[in-house]
Amino acid sequence: MENKDIDHLFRHHSGKMVAVLTRIFGLKHLDVIEDAVQDTFIKASISWRKEIPDYPEAWLTKAAKNRVVDIFRALNTQRTHYASIKSGTDAIAINELFLDSEIEDAQLRMIFTACHPKLDPRDRISFALKTVSGFSIKEISAALLTKQETIKKRLFRARKAIKTLDIQFHIPRGRVLKSRLESVMEVLYLIFNEGFHSNSKDQLIREDLCSEAMRLCQLLLKNKATRMPEAYALFALMCFHSARLETKIGANNEILDLKQQDRNRWHFPLIELGNTMMYKAVDTEMFSCYHYEAAIAAEHLRAKSFEDTDWNKILQWYEVLNKLQPMPIHLLTMAVICMQIKNLDKAESYIEQITPEDLEQRIYLYYAAKSDLYAKQYNMKSAKEYLDIAIKKVNNSSEKEYLQKKYNQL
Amino acid sequence: MIFIGADYADLGLSPEELQSRMGKWFAWGQKMEQAGILRGGEALHPQIRRIVGENRTVTDLTSAEVKEIVGGYYTVEAKDFDAVEEIAKDFPDYDLGGTVEIREIMVFDK
Repeated sequence: MENKDIDHLFRHHSGKMVAVLTRIFGLKHLDVIEDAVQDTFIKASISWRKEIPDYPEAWLTKAAKNRVVDIFRALNTQRTHYASIKSGTDAIAINELFLDSEIEDAQLRMIFTACHPKLDPRDRISFALKTVSGFSIKEISAALLTKQETIKKRLFRARKAIKTLDIQFHIPRGRVLKSRLESVMEVLYLIFNEGFHSNSKDQLIREDLCSEAMRLCQLLLKNKATRMPEAYALFALMCFHSARLETKIGANNEILDLKQQDRNRWHFPLIELGNTMMYKAVDTEMFSCYHYEAAIAAEHLRAKSFEDTDWNKILQWYEVLNKLQPMPIHLLTMAVICMQIKNLDKAESYIEQITPEDLEQRIYLYYAAKSDLYAKQYNMKSAKEYLDIAIKKVNNSSEKEYLQKKYNQL
Repeated sequence: MIFIGADYADLGLSPEELQSRMGKWFAWGQKMEQAGILRGGEALHPQIRRIVGENRTVTDLTSAEVKEIVGGYYTVEAKDFDAVEEIAKDFPDYDLGGTVEIREIMVFDK
């Protein structure tokens, strides 16, 4: 079998078929729909053992189409209705919903449903991965490093919210579109980051999440209504980060930072694609945080070596980013950059603006940065003190190891 | 070779897993095909109707109630048990708790 041609075919197609069938039967029948779609894949996996069909995707679509009548039956729809589906105009209408352009439309509707602002933010990610991306509960739990039970609860909550809030299966229009789109981009950004910054030992999980976020972002770019400059910027950002994905992991499966990465192995085509997307993204008066984050990522990629990095430029981008979207982590990053360019006073002023508790589980980064600052000021006693706090506060074992190594060198 | 184990539908496999399983089964089938030893085989639906005893008691069972069911079989031509055992090593579903049972087809004198 030519595996390449149908890489992830089942996973991607599952999201497509669930979306189309939801358009026919409505969100309230999602359970029945998901079961039916799952069943077509089980059947396919068995019947393709002997021979893969010439057009696998068309085969799967046809199988899903054939399930329409079964689902009607399962939902106990009246016989009269069922008869008219088999022949009449409904059949034509349903057939058309399985055309490629309509499948994309249905998928966008599902994305907007999954990312609805009324759902709990954490539920959105799990629900999107399950319903739009065709991940199983086990796969979501591995990807998000969260217990299966927790994922089950999140999915349950999301479904319940969709039902009780009577969330509509459509692509929002007019004034609400912009804010709804922001919510979608936020979810895609989070899915991507879950992959990119994952602590999972499994590189495949990282790639899966990143490429899934990119695939969904492309869906936004394909549709005229959702093709907005900030969506292009988000896609550019994902391209720039993905270009480095492979070099983030060292030979012993350890996480490598920008300084240690082999820049020759960065994926050039993705950088180029990111640049093209950036061109389209800047065709606007108003830049989003994705614009600035992409600009920062691009600046890192531009440097031939870590030492060549234009830190002043990056600092400028962070300044505007932090004005647009004030976050303690931006302040911390700026402090680290200032130390890089040996402007210790400025570094200190950034650090002073941070309330450490605001960093939540990343609080150890604050203490590590503060330790760095003291070390650079030749105050080794305080440097050790703060690094010790950082080590006590860090959860992740490889990060802990890294800090411990640093401590021993002080 | 008779394949025994849980039904795919009861294992909660993801589309991605189903696809990779399918690929492994396909590769295994191709391998036997190329070796010219494959003589046939079928996959079986998971629904079971069981008739037991003198009273011919009939029960309809689903795979979930039985846990282990015969999912299908392949007929291969080989020298002896050891040769088929070698072929059965590539059966893709051991990690799902699957079992392969090797049985010889009885050949009668003509």
